[in-house]
Amino acid sequence: MDTTLLVQALVSGVLAAGLYALVSVGLALAIGVIGIVNFAHGEFFMVGAFLAYQLFVTFGIDPVWSLFIVAPALFALGAIIYTSTIRFVLKAPELNQMLLTFGIGIILQNLALLIWGGDPRTIAGITYRGIGYQIGGVSIGLVPLASFVVSLVLVLGLYWMLARTPLGRAMRAVAQNRTGAALVGLEVNRVYLVAFALSALLAGIGGVMIAVIQSPTPVVGFAFTLKAFAIVVVAGLGNIRGILFAALFVAVAESLVATLVPNGDTLRNAVFFAIIFAVLIRRSWRTA
Amino acid sequence: MSDILRVTGLVKHFGGLAAVDGVSFAVEANQIFAIIGPNGAGKTTTLDLVSGLLTPTAGRIEVLGSDVSAATPAQRCHAGLGRAFQVVQPFPEMTLRENVLVGALFGTPGRTRADAERRADAALELSGLAALADVDAEDLTLMQEKRLEIARALATEPSVLLLDEVMAGLRPAEARDAVALVKRVRDSGVTIVFIEHVMPVVRDLADRVLVMDHGKVVVEGSYAEVTQDARVIEAYLGKEEVA
Amino acid sequence: MSASTRTRRTRPAQFPWDLVGLVLLAVAVAFAPDLLKALFGRASVSYLSIATNALSLSILALSWDVLARTGQLSLAHAAFYGAGAYTTALLARHADVPLWIGIPLGGLAAVVFALLLGAATLRLRGIYFAIATLSAAEVLKAVVHHLPTGIAGGNAGMNVPTLFRPEFIAGQMERWEVAFLRNEAYFYVYATLLCMTVLASILVQRSRLKHAFTAIRTNEEVAGVMGVRPARLKLLAFVLSSVFVGMLGGVEAHRVGSVLPEQSFSVSTTVLALVTPIFGGLYTTLGPIVGALGLSSVQEGLRRVFSDGYLIGYGVVLVLSILFMPRGVVGLVGGLLRRRGKREAGR
Ligand SMILES: Nc1ncnc2c1ncn2[C@@H]1O[C@H](COP(=O)(O)OP(=O)(O)OP(=O)(O)O)[C@@H](O)[C@H]1O
Ligand SMILES: [Mg+2]
Repeated sequence: MDTTLLVQALVSGVLAAGLYALVSVGLALAIGVIGIVNFAHGEFFMVGAFLAYQLFVTFGIDPVWSLFIVAPALFALGAIIYTSTIRFVLKAPELNQMLLTFGIGIILQNLALLIWGGDPRTIAGITYRGIGYQIGGVSIGLVPLASFVVSLVLVLGLYWMLARTPLGRAMRAVAQNRTGAALVGLEVNRVYLVAFALSALLAGIGGVMIAVIQSPTPVVGFAFTLKAFAIVVVAGLGNIRGILFAALFVAVAESLVATLVPNGDTLRNAVFFAIIFAVLIRRSWRTA
Repeated sequence: MSDILRVTGLVKHFGGLAAVDGVSFAVEANQIFAIIGPNGAGKTTTLDLVSGLLTPTAGRIEVLGSDVSAATPAQRCHAGLGRAFQVVQPFPEMTLRENVLVGALFGTPGRTRADAERRADAALELSGLAALADVDAEDLTLMQEKRLEIARALATEPSVLLLDEVMAGLRPAEARDAVALVKRVRDSGVTIVFIEHVMPVVRDLADRVLVMDHGKVVVEGSYAEVTQDARVIEAYLGKEEVA
Repeated sequence: MSASTRTRRTRPAQFPWDLVGLVLLAVAVAFAPDLLKALFGRASVSYLSIATNALSLSILALSWDVLARTGQLSLAHAAFYGAGAYTTALLARHADVPLWIGIPLGGLAAVVFALLLGAATLRLRGIYFAIATLSAAEVLKAVVHHLPTGIAGGNAGMNVPTLFRPEFIAGQMERWEVAFLRNEAYFYVYATLLCMTVLASILVQRSRLKHAFTAIRTNEEVAGVMGVRPARLKLLAFVLSSVFVGMLGGVEAHRVGSVLPEQSFSVSTTVLALVTPIFGGLYTTLGPIVGALGLSSVQEGLRRVFSDGYLIGYGVVLVLSILFMPRGVVGLVGGLLRRRGKREAGR
């Protein structure tokens, strides 16, 4: 077998894992801290992508700089959605949360379809997209590499925040014991608001990256919702630290199959979901 | 061979913790058998193993002479085990009658609907809940919830009824009612295994007492015997006043 | 003594609203096509097809609800639907099987897949169960996609013969009446399938299964300790749920005239299957049907008013319905009636 191809597949997988982890970690925050099953999470990602696209088209802003506009914008969007809807279903059954967030997802996705149509949108003429490095026959694009580094920094930054800052400690306290946290004087609702807005922000940053890496359409969001859910579930609900490993595992497997199996690129999704299914089923039957 | 429930060498590990560590005991028909011990002694875990909610690491469980160690909870229920939980958990979306009806319909295979409804009403009556039959189970007081736990278990027509701290949190008058209820149930021909912290209740009810600590059996005997045992006084009773 | 003479009636004999409702439904659908034709003439052709879509959504939603009654929030409904559609299509393509065998076999294929999936996921709960079923559905989609083109057509899918080809008889009918006859025939097929699903749901609700399902949904451990056999009954719910969606998939393959991986296994089928009962009212026979009729009307109305982006309005309706009627239409109406009943009783 061609080892270069194998290494190439591994490298691509690792690089893709960054973005997966970034999007999933936001969802894990929503589930773990707030306890909300957010099926609109991928739409934040999509909105981030299309905001970056529009900022480029209208104002010629390079996506690197639009990160600094998209991030606060998505934080605000998350805050608005939390305040207007999510906070009313915190104690509702899981199914109701699912339906509410499905509804929000449908609204966002169809607004985007109305504005941008269903065709893929490319941010044209970015000079750095073509830059890549060759190391012993393995090529590494600058953009995937940068997106990996930025994602990793953000994910690790989130871990640090949860572990070390007062806000992070508040989030962990709330996640562990909702009533108890209220008793010790934490403003639970404020913590939830920030956690949800932060989760939207992280997804939005991921969206800016996908706008550069690929040419997304407005339906990209739901696909990422599913992937993020799957990664969160494989890591284990509430296990925010496990996300990085789950994302790595899944992304590398996906990439290996896409490269090594003939016709593998279209099998990508199947592999992804087969892994998740196998992991869940195996885990459920092992613990008695 | 009048042992109706026999447990041999029961072991359960949670990770590194041996919550139940080689417990053996036998309960004779129509006895009231008490399991006591400090918090975390492994009493609830023992009942969970007996009723099949947990899989034992080792050990054997027999009901009416047949080995149920590998059976599902439902099969053990059909074999004659009834269970009332320490943490009361009624089905909140159902009325009291419907709650009890679940036990009556499914606790004994092959029962007709009309028969089950009669049986459910009888269990409600015996537990003093007949007047509340059509109330939703989410609107109950603690005492009523505990009675419902017992009524549901009774409706399955058990040979052995496992009761987990049904007196905890009750006021003295209520506890006296509950004691009377347990006696009535025994008099109707049901063997009872119960976990209890309230010592006067144990003294009033128990024919035999099993004392557990750290997953092990400390001693087994009559109430008088175990309360005089030095190991028991040290392990458990030393910390609380002996009534 | 008096205790024995005071035999409390176990339950006051209740008026069988459910069965009466089923008969009313059957009568209504029996006359609906003629009524539409008399009222709207030519336009009734498209109205019939809208009504058929509503029936289809009802079957989808009600069959999902039956499974959900055991607490299994499945995201594999599209897979049952697709398994039925593809089996029917394959049988029609390769074996020339008559449709009255092909469609039930579609249902059977869905049942087989459902049993395998149900057995594998017995130990999973809540969101873990949901994601596992979703994953299984996606894997099945990919498998179908990658079957050799000679067998299942790959990406391009397969054509499926249409069921009804009414003849145009010059002088006795107008051109559009051919389309009407075809749509009417499909409408009756769907209506029959819905009546079967409704009957199954009613039988569950009237039997001891209702209590067993509710018990398993609210607390599986306790249900087991009380003698309910959760594994067996959860699988039974899988069977009852999948057989009707599977047949729906088969029927729909014939109506649409083709099967495609992306269409037959679409996630949106699953989404509709769960959104509709939540909107109408979960764990009842009436709720999913009310939900299907309500959402179909909302969607159709919005489509007429806003041609583009009408789905935005659909999303808004979903969000508002969760915020303002968390127990669905049926729960809301039921709650209002009960409150009025109490007030009248208090007077
Ligand atoms: N599912 C579990 N996983 C891990 N440890 C457990 C589990 N269930 C119980 N334990 C541990 O096993 C030990 C025995 O618990 P158990 O509930 O049987 O005690 P108990 O005698 O019923 O106490 P109490 O009087 O407080 O009800 C405890 O240390 C408990 O923390
Ligand atoms: Mg206990």
